[in-house]
Amino acid sequence: MDALNSANLPDIAGMPDRDKQELQQFIKNETQKSNIQQSIHSLTDMCFRKCITAKPSSGKLDKYEEPCMQNCVDRFMDANNLILKQLEAMRTA
Amino acid sequence: MDSFNTTVAGSDPKSQIMNQIRQEAAMHNARQLIEKINEHCFERCIPKPGTSISRGEESCFSSCMEKYMSSWNAISRQYVQRIQKEQAAQEAGGFGGI
Repeated sequence: MDALNSANLPDIAGMPDRDKQELQQFIKNETQKSNIQQSIHSLTDMCFRKCITAKPSSGKLDKYEEPCMQNCVDRFMDANNLILKQLEAMRTA
Repeated sequence: MDSFNTTVAGSDPKSQIMNQIRQEAAMHNARQLIEKINEHCFERCIPKPGTSISRGEESCFSSCMEKYMSSWNAISRQYVQRIQKEQAAQEAGGFGGI
């Protein structure tokens, strides 16, 4: 973060409009990517706790762990949708 | 990395900024992964800290690390697949997911 404030800050003001637009789009995309990565981090944190219960003895996910991970993601998303639906129902009730 | 390698970093302000953003994003992501791995694997592999890390603990750590990364990849695949599916459903007129 602080690196952006350093003295070798690129000249943004003198940038052609086309570059500015491209940069804006780029930042939008990167922000979205970063948000998705953030969600993956917190899902991995949660699902690892739930699905990997034994002391790790191999680096690969075994035949129970892999589907558990997939279910964990899907059920979390289902739960998320369920809450949204429920809230929507409360709002219109 | 990609197409931007053709321009020398620092020559034009736009790619300079883009590269910096890419770098910081990658750094942030890696730092977070390391933090999580340490947190989980320490809890799993070193339940009772001794005077040094034993051989068994060390091998537990390396399996745990690999396993956490495999988990990250599995979750990533599943999550991206899921949001794409929901997005497609939304565009087709289904109910809004996230």
